[in-house]
Amino acid sequence: MTEIILQTTLNAVYAASYMSLIAVGLVLIFGVMGVINFAHGELYMAGAYTVVALYSHLNFPFLIAVAAGLAFVGLLGILMEYSLFRPLRDNPLGGLIASIGFLLMLQTAAVLGFGVRMAHIKPPIQGKIELLGAVLTYQRFLVIAAAILLLTGLYLFLRKTKIGWAMRACAQDREAAALQGISLNQITRIAMFIGASLAGVAGALTAPLVSPTPYMGHSVIVTAFIIIIVGGIGHLEGAVVAAVLYAFVHTFVTTFYDGVVADIVGLVLMLLVLVIKPTGLFGARERA
Amino acid sequence: MRLTSTPRRISRRELLLTSSAAVTMLATTGAPKFAFGADKTVKIGFLAPLTGAVAAWGKPGLDGCQIWSDRVNNAGGIEIGGDRYKVEFIAYDNEYDPGKARTGAAKLIKEDGVKFIMMLGGDTWPGVQPMAEREGMLVSTLLPSDLTPDTKTLIAPCEVHPIYNVTGVQWLAENKPDMKTAVICAQDDALGKPSVATYLAAFEAAGIDVIDEPLFFDPATTDFAPVMTRLLSGKPDILCLDTCYADYVHPLCEQAFQQGFQGTIISCTADFYPKIIEKTSKEFMEGFVFQFPDFDDPALNDANVNFSKPNEFFQEYANRFGESEWSAVSWEYASIMDLWADAASKAGSIEPGDVLAAMKSSGKGKHAFGDADWWGEELFGIDNALVGNWPVVVIENGKAVIKEYKSIPDWWNQHSDLVIKHFRALGQMWDQRG
Repeated sequence: MTEIILQTTLNAVYAASYMSLIAVGLVLIFGVMGVINFAHGELYMAGAYTVVALYSHLNFPFLIAVAAGLAFVGLLGILMEYSLFRPLRDNPLGGLIASIGFLLMLQTAAVLGFGVRMAHIKPPIQGKIELLGAVLTYQRFLVIAAAILLLTGLYLFLRKTKIGWAMRACAQDREAAALQGISLNQITRIAMFIGASLAGVAGALTAPLVSPTPYMGHSVIVTAFIIIIVGGIGHLEGAVVAAVLYAFVHTFVTTFYDGVVADIVGLVLMLLVLVIKPTGLFGARERA
Repeated sequence: MRLTSTPRRISRRELLLTSSAAVTMLATTGAPKFAFGADKTVKIGFLAPLTGAVAAWGKPGLDGCQIWSDRVNNAGGIEIGGDRYKVEFIAYDNEYDPGKARTGAAKLIKEDGVKFIMMLGGDTWPGVQPMAEREGMLVSTLLPSDLTPDTKTLIAPCEVHPIYNVTGVQWLAENKPDMKTAVICAQDDALGKPSVATYLAAFEAAGIDVIDEPLFFDPATTDFAPVMTRLLSGKPDILCLDTCYADYVHPLCEQAFQQGFQGTIISCTADFYPKIIEKTSKEFMEGFVFQFPDFDDPALNDANVNFSKPNEFFQEYANRFGESEWSAVSWEYASIMDLWADAASKAGSIEPGDVLAAMKSSGKGKHAFGDADWWGEELFGIDNALVGNWPVVVIENGKAVIKEYKSIPDWWNQHSDLVIKHFRALGQMWDQRG
């Protein structure tokens, strides 16, 4: 039993890691720009396909492909900000609809470029760590380590740098921030780059573990929305804590019961949070 | 750290409402569709998933049909009632969605005037059933579990999924008698459940103990590590992957490899298995048992096999689409077309009712793997499934090899009660399905 619990814990830590990256990116975009980016799952998919193109097809080193995935998807984010969200800055629902259009464009591009079937990526790193009978592959360890590093870096960036402060100021009150001389265009561009690149790097790092398909973003975005609702919409710490909570609940229920029940439990968790604390675990009451 | 701007923030209610609206929009987005083929004579509908998670059981079948129609049309077409007909396939991507399947069926029947529709079936059949019944359209499914006494114009003339899975378990029990315990997992859908019932019956008949409840997972699952941890917790000899889609079989095998499984894997399919070997190892995949041969297998040249020139078909497929693109269904829809063409010639008509009557007139048919009987009354309430022999395929030294053809009717005659028992327990009998 100890072995199963330990293995399940390692599985949950891995799931929490990549889901945290995706959810934090989504929260960052929503927090700073006020836009629900429905294409966030497809940004995750775009990161995965960057690895397919560079690592599988062109034989670049895996880590170079991952870095390229981060940069490429970040640039896609800037493109979205410039062409979709900036013109619709005062129309958040318009931004949501535009993000759905972009989602379909990304899916279609992936289908045209790579076909409808799952892509196969040979394992970039072989080997595994064995802990009391439980197994953690190096590939999964890499995802966990990268998530911790990136999220810590983001936390420090938002807390310790002027741009980070400006970003938080924009999130709290955009007009007041502008009156202080903060460039809204620059801050939203940076927020979009970071938010998108977090999804992209999650897709790139996990690509060898999930066999990418053009439609892989759907299941991820649903889970990400559950996480940010549980965590409190607009809260980075809330997103991380909710990702860990959701991953552990889902993974343990899957292992000790089954996957279908785990999905139901995940949704019940969200409903419970909405009933008991409608603002989410870390959410504050909305001001009138 | 709060990152929400208050002046133009979306309320929680708006978020939930707009998210729901967006999901609805996504679900109802129009399906891509395309058509190919010659511009004359008899039109055949191909209504299957060409995109999405189940595309591996649609698109390769359409590719196989393209080869079939080229063969037939280049030979001058099919002689029916004194005329020669060329065949044109009209394809519609149902994305494995019942609503899109219904739209596709309406288009194929009303606008395109097809005379026969081939489907994968499963979750998509209920979307098509009312129109097929109303129009008297002959429809084929790869999944006979779609059959009920009401589905008079629905036939399962190629796959007797999931019943043929018993042959793999039977072979395993005969050839690896030391394998005594098994576990099963499947996606929770119309394809997974009847297959689980069949495997449970087959294991029981073979004296193999299923040591845990079958584990069902959400079809949206992407991380299979928890599923595999649960499956391997009882240290089974046999890991049964049921009729999981290729998108699941691959990561499940990879997880089994990573988590140290050392027994035998049995699965309905092993599509694109060289890629699984690439992600695991040749040694790990050695002895993997499944049900779908590569058609370059010399055993397909057996005199009992009715599929025309299987090795040449495989070669042509490999030349056009790549050998690694071959999947379980690459030959199946083409095989169904062989039966349809024979029946239409015999009937002297392309009308659905006439073709169906000719197809079933003797109670027997020429199935791809040998002569077979129209069967199914006990399990599906109607004799609209063509059942005979089915091959057991094993991966040896990195290549799929047909080990033996086994008779499904022979197994059924001895163990039908077990299949019915497990079908009923999982609510899969025709009178239990909604």
